[in-house]
Amino acid sequence: MSVRPEAGGRLPDIELPDHTGRRRKLSDVAAGDPLALLFSRGWWCPKEQRHLREMVAFQDELEVAYARLAVISVDPPEVQAAFRAGLGARFIFLSDAERQWVEQLDLLEETDTIHHPYRPTAMVLTPELEIHRVYDGYWYLGRPSREDLRRDLREVSALIRDDFERS
Amino acid sequence: MNELPAGAAKLRFDGERLSLDGDGRMFQVDARCLGDDPVAGAYAHVCALADLDAALEYDHPEVQQVRRDALAWWIPLLGDSLVCLTTLALDEARYGGAIAVTTEPAPWDSDPFARIFPGTLLRSDLFSAVAPPAGPVVERYAGVAWPGGSF
Repeated sequence: MSVRPEAGGRLPDIELPDHTGRRRKLSDVAAGDPLALLFSRGWWCPKEQRHLREMVAFQDELEVAYARLAVISVDPPEVQAAFRAGLGARFIFLSDAERQWVEQLDLLEETDTIHHPYRPTAMVLTPELEIHRVYDGYWYLGRPSREDLRRDLREVSALIRDDFERS
Repeated sequence: MNELPAGAAKLRFDGERLSLDGDGRMFQVDARCLGDDPVAGAYAHVCALADLDAALEYDHPEVQQVRRDALAWWIPLLGDSLVCLTTLALDEARYGGAIAVTTEPAPWDSDPFARIFPGTLLRSDLFSAVAPPAGPVVERYAGVAWPGGSF
């Protein structure tokens, strides 16, 4: 049975190989921090290339913000590793080349009958994988900008960090 | 270095050998790397010096940059062979080096941490497997040696 993730729900603790082939659980990737999770079509899509370049620019902030960013796509790990290196990304890619989760999460992009990829979807999660916000990125402009993610990650940080604002 | 922050453990290096309780300069490491299931005969590339003066601020731009390089390409380059990686903290602010541990020989000449302090290659039975940091965070958590610790 598939269940489309919605704000207020909780994402399963997805376990997939990362871009180096190591199996990783989403909760370990979050590691106690807010997490922006991008379900991505794959390296071939010009919209993904553009949006991920935007995220590469954002990583310079996240590296000091105690917030995480991860990408899940149907590319195999070795393809992800090459794509990640080409982008200059320092965040993690998780590979669902076996399409293990795409249907369970009801995120199959049905209009692409060649790659059977994820429908571009972004989620901002708490460390416990509670879904704070969801973006449907089927149309490019539906995807979160850096400013959107900065706001969402700030909101999650305020929820989970007792000292985020001085009382 | 009496009180260790949560998530930190002590490790000593005398310039030739690593030990938990022997002689040599004391460092703080990511405690997970000294876990209960050590890998026998692992390769440990110790980019540190026994000289007590060999230290930089963690916030020094080059110390930040080598952590970026580790996330970007050093960890992927080490691949399946990587057992664990930890920086070496001297206290809440100062960096004393880093150790990369692998099961097989690696292109140590490329180790970005060796840009700061030169590397010494050892065989060690001390280190346990720890999943490498997922990134992109390069800041430390509560003063623990990166990538260890949490809030």
